[in-house]
Amino acid sequence: MIQKIQAPISVALVFNHKTREVKPVKVLWEGRLYRITRIGLHHTVRQGRTLLHVFSVESESLFFRLVLNTELLSWTVEEIADGESN
Amino acid sequence: MHLDLNSCFATIEQQANPKLRGKPIAVAAYAAPSGCIIAPSVEAKDQGVKVGMRVKEGKLLCPNLIVLTPDPWKYRNIHIKFRHLLEEYTDHVVPKSIDEFVLDLEGCPSFSKGMVIVAKEIKERIKKEVGEWLRVSIGIGPNRFLAKLGAGLHNPDGLDVIDAGNVKKIYGHFPLMSICGIKTNNVARLNQYGIFTTLDFYQAPVWKLKAAFASIVGYYWYVRLHGWEIDDVEFGRGSFGNSYALPDIRSTPEELFPLLMKLVEKSGSRMRKNGYRARGVHLSILYRDGCHWHRGVTVSEYLFDTRDMYKVAYRILCMSPYHTPVANVAVSCFSLEKSLYTQEHLFSDMEKKARLAKALDAINDKWGDFVITPGRMMGLQEKIVDRVAFGNIKEFEDMVLASKGVAFKGYPCRQTGLRSQFFYTCFIPKSCFWT
Repeated sequence: MIQKIQAPISVALVFNHKTREVKPVKVLWEGRLYRITRIGLHHTVRQGRTLLHVFSVESESLFFRLVLNTELLSWTVEEIADGESN
Repeated sequence: MHLDLNSCFATIEQQANPKLRGKPIAVAAYAAPSGCIIAPSVEAKDQGVKVGMRVKEGKLLCPNLIVLTPDPWKYRNIHIKFRHLLEEYTDHVVPKSIDEFVLDLEGCPSFSKGMVIVAKEIKERIKKEVGEWLRVSIGIGPNRFLAKLGAGLHNPDGLDVIDAGNVKKIYGHFPLMSICGIKTNNVARLNQYGIFTTLDFYQAPVWKLKAAFASIVGYYWYVRLHGWEIDDVEFGRGSFGNSYALPDIRSTPEELFPLLMKLVEKSGSRMRKNGYRARGVHLSILYRDGCHWHRGVTVSEYLFDTRDMYKVAYRILCMSPYHTPVANVAVSCFSLEKSLYTQEHLFSDMEKKARLAKALDAINDKWGDFVITPGRMMGLQEKIVDRVAFGNIKEFEDMVLASKGVAFKGYPCRQTGLRSQFFYTCFIPKSCFWT
């Protein structure tokens, strides 16, 4: 099931200066901590002049579409899915 | 070399969401039952789901089909990554669409490695650097036509070479209608001259093909089929347009005016951003009963201001004799010219109009589309969603170059923030492998 939402979410992001990789490693959603097991895709979107970083990530049970607003420095979850059809 | 990302939109969605991998998914224009499927995944295609089907038809064939709506910026980002990767092999990279590229490696250092080795290397690097789920089919041939034919031979993840040694055998496997550019009417033309198969088409002399097509097109086909390059032509920008499929019933011009304004504003701002102005406005309406009406008007003065373009589009809409429910409205501006200077008018201040248009575009660029909204659009609920155009993606080229740090045509350079009037052209040298 795919659920489209727009809600703030807490994200732990790690930057590795040797590999120059940035990746979210944990998210806290509705009181539950999810460890990110895989990053499917990272891409960027512009809304006006604001740059948004979109991370499509997977935990054990759920898929999250996480958006970092670089203007406000805040994280939003836009989509959660479990891999089944609606 | 022709490179084609297999089931582009669906594969990219599966790359983004690993939970969808291996499952039948389809990207549809709208997720509603009447939405049109634009990209089924390989798994969905195996179950008979095809491009152009409605969602409800797809679900009948595949009940557990997962339907997604398009996410254009995801696909554009992947396109840019592909582009950057391919440009490490040659500077003659021509994107034919969001998921197809043509590369000419002649004269490049990578050519000495061998085309097949380069193709395999590109496939590996795509998996490693862009996305491990992304698969491409690559065709290699002496011209673009044969390279594209080769890319379509095996899906997914194909790699095929067409040369003088196997071209007849490959033509023998393709029915005439499956050749890109040959459909029902052209098949009928060829049949009249005794050409029924692709092999017949290849073996036909020039005079017969010129007679069949009744034009020089017949000669072009002869050249193309025999491996000479004829398609390396760069066409200029012809028009800027936007269209919208209406979800509800609307028939009269009064009901359509707000939507018309929005479409004109979108087309106009894209045209201005690319540094053009137009002398013509074209309106096309598709009605729900299947009828189609369209009219284009060319004016004496160049148009760049949305209000002026809207006045022309408004007059065209009022000319429409039909007031039946509308399915789709499309507006485009044509007869383009680069706006190098503005001709002053006796009765209107063109310089002031140009400054106003520039200011409005700058505000919308900074804060988002339609932050400043024309009054005619008040009350309009529809959001005309962003979609990836089929075929050539010319204005996207500018964004690609801006992402590399090259200021181009109104898009600011990422590094310096400067804009420039630098023009980029793509030159593909003609080549042939056999005569």
